[in-house]
Formats: sequence, C-alpha cells, structure tokens
Amino acid sequence: MTATDLLRPLLVVAVFAVVPWLGVSNATLNFLVYMLIVALAAQGWNILGGFGGQYSFGHAAFFGTGAYATAILQVQLGVNAWVGLVCGVAAGVAVGLFVGFLSFRSGLRGSYFALVTLAFAEVFRVVANAAGFTGGAAGLLIRLEPGVATLQFADRRITCMLVLGFVGLGLVISTWLTRSRFGAHLIAVRENEQAAEALGVDPMRVKLGAIALSAALTALAGCLYAQYFLFIDATIAYGPWISVEALLAPLVGGAGTVFGPLIGALALHGLGEATKGIAGSVPGIDLVVFGVVLILVIAFLPGGLMGGLARLAGRLRTIARGRRPAVEA
Amino acid sequence: MTSSDHRRDASLSRRALLQAGAAGAALIAAPAVLRAQAPAVKLGIIQPVTGALAEAGELGRLGAELAIADINAAGGLKALGGARIEMVFADNRSNPEAAAQEVERLQGEKVAAIVGGFGSGLCMTATQAAARYDLPYLVDVGVADSITTRGLKNTFRMAPSFSMATSVALKNLVTLNDAAGKPAKTVVIVHEDGLFGSGLAKLLGTELPKLGFEVLETISHPTPARDMSNIALRIRSLKPDLVIPSNYYGEFVLLARTMQQQRIRPKAIYAIFGGAASSLRFVKEFPQAADGIIDCNHWHDPKNPRSAEIRRRTEAAGKSYVYNVPLNYSAVTLMAEAIEAAGSVESAKILEVLSSRDFGSGVMPYGRSKFVEGQNVSALPLNTQIQDNDVKVIYPDAFAQVKPVFPLKA
Repeated sequence: MTATDLLRPLLVVAVFAVVPWLGVSNATLNFLVYMLIVALAAQGWNILGGFGGQYSFGHAAFFGTGAYATAILQVQLGVNAWVGLVCGVAAGVAVGLFVGFLSFRSGLRGSYFALVTLAFAEVFRVVANAAGFTGGAAGLLIRLEPGVATLQFADRRITCMLVLGFVGLGLVISTWLTRSRFGAHLIAVRENEQAAEALGVDPMRVKLGAIALSAALTALAGCLYAQYFLFIDATIAYGPWISVEALLAPLVGGAGTVFGPLIGALALHGLGEATKGIAGSVPGIDLVVFGVVLILVIAFLPGGLMGGLARLAGRLRTIARGRRPAVEA
Repeated sequence: MTSSDHRRDASLSRRALLQAGAAGAALIAAPAVLRAQAPAVKLGIIQPVTGALAEAGELGRLGAELAIADINAAGGLKALGGARIEMVFADNRSNPEAAAQEVERLQGEKVAAIVGGFGSGLCMTATQAAARYDLPYLVDVGVADSITTRGLKNTFRMAPSFSMATSVALKNLVTLNDAAGKPAKTVVIVHEDGLFGSGLAKLLGTELPKLGFEVLETISHPTPARDMSNIALRIRSLKPDLVIPSNYYGEFVLLARTMQQQRIRPKAIYAIFGGAASSLRFVKEFPQAADGIIDCNHWHDPKNPRSAEIRRRTEAAGKSYVYNVPLNYSAVTLMAEAIEAAGSVESAKILEVLSSRDFGSGVMPYGRSKFVEGQNVSALPLNTQIQDNDVKVIYPDAFAQVKPVFPLKA
C-alpha cells in the first residue's frame, strides 16, 4: 500500500469531517453519528462478506459483544471507558474466532454459514436476556457523565470526529485489503476456494483472519453505540436489526468495495431521514422509501451504488471514446 | 433641558399615547385577534406510531391530541396571555435510537417540554437525550424503575413504576383471595421474556410464596409468539388455581383464546399490566375468552365524568379504548398546568415547578400528583375485571364500579 492509495480514503474522511463544523443542528449531528456507527459495523461485515464472500447474517453477535463488554466493564466493574472500548473489541474478536473456527472447520459455506451465524447471534441474545450480569431484560444503563475520561462528549461534534476517525481506520483497512497479499488470498477464497487451496492458500487461516478483523470493526461499532446512547438491552445489542443494517449498507453501496459500506449507509439513512423531513406527517414513509430503494438496487444495480457508478463511468468513457474519431473525421 | 428635548418628550409621549390608544381600540374591537397573537407554546409529543408498538402509540397520540384540543378550546395557557399549545409530534418508531434522534429534532424545533415515550427502552434513550438540554420530559407509561431512579433532573413519570404497581397488585390479590375464603393456593406464571415480563416473573417468584401461594411453574415465551398450545397444555396438566400472565397484546389474546378452546378454566386469570386484560378491543373481538379476566393496570378514574367523555371521543374516532388514551390525556394536562404555573416556557422554571408543587391528575385516579425524585408518588394502578362485555373497576373500593367475581365458575 502506497501513500497514493491512502489519498482517496483521506479525502472522503476530510469531506465528512468538515460537515459538523458548518453550524449544522444537533439533530443532524446525531444522525451523522448514528449513520457512521452503522457504517462502521457495515465495514466490518464487508471484510468478511464483501471481500471474503462469507455472507454472515449474524454480525449482531460481534456488535452486541462489543457493546455488552464495554458496558459491563464500566457499570459492574468500574473500569475506565477507554479500557472498556479496547476490551470490547478484544471480546468481539474472541467471539469472531470462536464462531469462525467452529463453522469454517465444518466447511460451512453460503446459506449454511449465514444460518449458523444467525443462530449464534440469537443464542447470544437469549443468553444476554436471561443472564444476571447483563442486567437481564432490563438492560444496562451507563451513567451520563460527559468527559474525556468517560468517553462521552458534551459536544456532539467531538463524538462525530471520534467515530469518523474509526470509520477512516475502516477505510484504510479496506484499502489495504485491495492492495495486500492477505487481501488477494481472501478474494481468491471468495472466487473459488478449491482453486485457491490448490495454489497454496490456506483457506482456514485466511477466513479466520478475515472474521477476526471483521468482528473487531463491528464490535468497535457496538462499543461506540453503547457509549453514545448509554443504554443497551438484549434486543438492541444482539437483535437482528444490526445484522440486517450491517449487511444492507454494503449490499446497497457495493459489497467488496472500499467505500461501499459508507456510501450505502449514507444513502439508505440519508434518504430515510430526508423523506421523513419532507413527508413528516405520514408515519413510516421513510421505511417505505427504504424498501423501494432496496428493491431498485437489487433489481438494477447488482454491484451496488459503487458498481453502478463504475458502470456509468465506463459507459461515459465508451461514449467519449466513440465520439473522438467522429470529431477527428 | 433645552427646547428640543422638550419637543422630543412631547412627541414621544404623543406617540406612546397613540400606541396605547390603538392597542386599546384593538382590544375592544377584536379580542380574538389579540389572543391569537400570544406566541403558541410548542409541546413535543413522542409516541411509537410505526413498528411493533404502533397500536399503543396511536392511542397515546390520540390522548395527547384530545388534551391539547381541550386546553386550546378553553382559552389556551392563561398565564402566557392565552397562548395556544401547538403539538410537535415525533414518532420514535418503537426503537431506542430513533427515540433519541426524535428528541434531538424536538429540541431543534424549540419545544417547551416533551410528553410520552410509551416503552421503557424508548423512554431510557429519549429522556437521556433530553437531559443534555435540561428539557423537561414527562414519561407517560415506561414502567422500568430505573427511568426515574438514575437521577436525571429533567425526567418525570406520570404513571406508577414497576415496583409501585406490583406491590399494589399483590396486596389486592391477597385481599381478593381472603375475601373469598382463600380458594386460590397454586399459581402458574406465564410471561414474555422481555424487560417487563421477566422482571415481573422474578419478583412474583420470590413474593408469592411469602404470601402463601405456591408457584407451580414459571413459563416464559418470546414476543412475538405464534402458538400457545403447549403452554395451555402445560397449564391443563398442572391445574393451577390462578394463572398470572404478563405479556403483550397479541400473546395475551392468544393465550386466553387457547385456554378457552381447550376449556381450561382456572379460578381466575389475574394479570399484572396485562397486555389485553383491560383492552376493549379484546373484549369486543373475543368476549367469551375475555370474560372474567382480572387486571391490575393503569386505568382512568371511573368516577370522573370527563373519563366517560374521553372514551366516547376515542370511540367516535374509530379506535378501541385502552389506558394509553386517558394516561396521555392526563399527562398533557399536567404538563400544561406546570407550564402555566411556571408562567414561562423556560426549561429551568418548568423543572422547578414540576419538582416543587402538586398538580391535578386529569382523569387518572391519582388525587393530586406530586413528583419525588421524578416519580409521581400519588400514582396508583387499579384492579379491573371484564364483566358484561366491559372493563369494570373492582379495587380499590373508592373507585370500584362492581363487585369482583371470584372464583370464576368452573
């Protein structure tokens, strides 16, 4: 990976970083933070699902583990929030390796892998709902005490910058995947596992690496969620909603691309929020738009928005190329 | 003083006189126009009108709308020059982060206070988002104790908390059983596995044995659950005297219907915050399954003539009546009274008033509402029983409309 490879991620982060300082309302800032948290979870999914081709339907297992670990450490054990964040990510990685080891060792792929991950997330949800140390069904409340040490900022712009920083990290990791040997192995496994193995790639190791990296980013999103909303329960942390969000954003934005998850999350949530503003009096209209966008993307843009943009650029180039001789003649 | 100063004084006073005259003329000529000039007070109403809790949220919104219409029809907020209340509605979509997002929007729209929320999780994130701005927030239902015990200065709750309600429910259960000669000795608890169901089951599991009841089994189920046959069969084989369900509308109805189909008839079905046990929709749709079910829940004061009127207006709007309507109606009137007493829409003044004096309770049977650390300490759930295809209050005696039918005929 060279410095020029990093130029595009940095540029995108810079564009997002300017927005909070333009005097936007707190509602917009709140939306931005939430959207970026979803984008971060989606970037996690994209590493395993997009680059690695292992479609997980249970990224809630990692998201929830991150959220619960950081919340439990703070609430029950009085651990510092930053330490909690690191431990949350570590716990997410551990769960990722555990789930990955069990399912990849059994050779589960495609829908079978999707179902197993879904089942894992559900098991975690039921356990978190019943166990005592997770606060049971009452969930966990982190005390509201704004401060740098508690990782809660009174100024939302700071929170926004922090989350954006992590999303930037996700972009860098994704860019690295497109440029590195590990990334090439991962894509090879996605395209044809047997062929990759025949060429000397160890699919088990590559997939485990991918799920660990993927779980780390998604768990980080979970930690930030808990730290921002300060309340989690089993349905929030391990519920199917986040599994769906994490895979929808890359699918709409473009799975297996660097910017797909971020663009997808922005498009889906931005559109939802915009329609809510325009047709605010009709409850649920944004959800209708959400559904329509999804259908349109699946039907007309199989490569997601990024794929669509690439196709459009290609077509424009062809048109330009087609015209040139005409001009010369 | 120079002559020009004199002139200015004269001209100023002449202008002032003219202004006063014009104002006076307007006052006489068009009082309605003048009244309309007091800037409207914006009140945020937040309810889930999409998602899993949409039905309850719609009714909560209706209650708030009725209250605002009544307050405006009666001349608005008099302390603020007859200012009208303008509702700014927010849909929390039955999910906690949308609730926080909507509070941000309400704050952006400069509401004076927020009323509503419904679900506990929804209230948790919403009250905390409002706490960042010291924005007064009156929770309508959200029963989890922690909503008010976590020390947010902006958060108040109209209805009884979980622990208040359960202690009343258990006390009334003992009274009911004792008065009938203690026919009920054994209990089966059926609960949903969320916050309120499992919290209740845990509490009942420890409290009921102390009160002389034997808990035969505690059965949990997820929400949504599509089939209650196995649970009903289990109840049939255990033959308990009492069944205590605590679940949401759909599952409650399903359980009651399945028990009816299988002719399982315990001495009573005693619900605590029963999802459908005091819902008139359930009574209307499945009168036989609903007959005789006892509930301990939020309910209006039946002796207050206004409550019958609210029910009539709810039905005129084509909706089935449940407690969300009177509770939100009352919460909005209480908040209006607080703004009136504060004489201002400033958050600090409203919060000061809310935590320092007592208020009328609208149509709820709370007497004078008073908030101690955010909780309305006068709040009281009522025991109701479905009799003659209607929900009737049986306890406490001060509000009772009918005598309880207990035990039910086998």
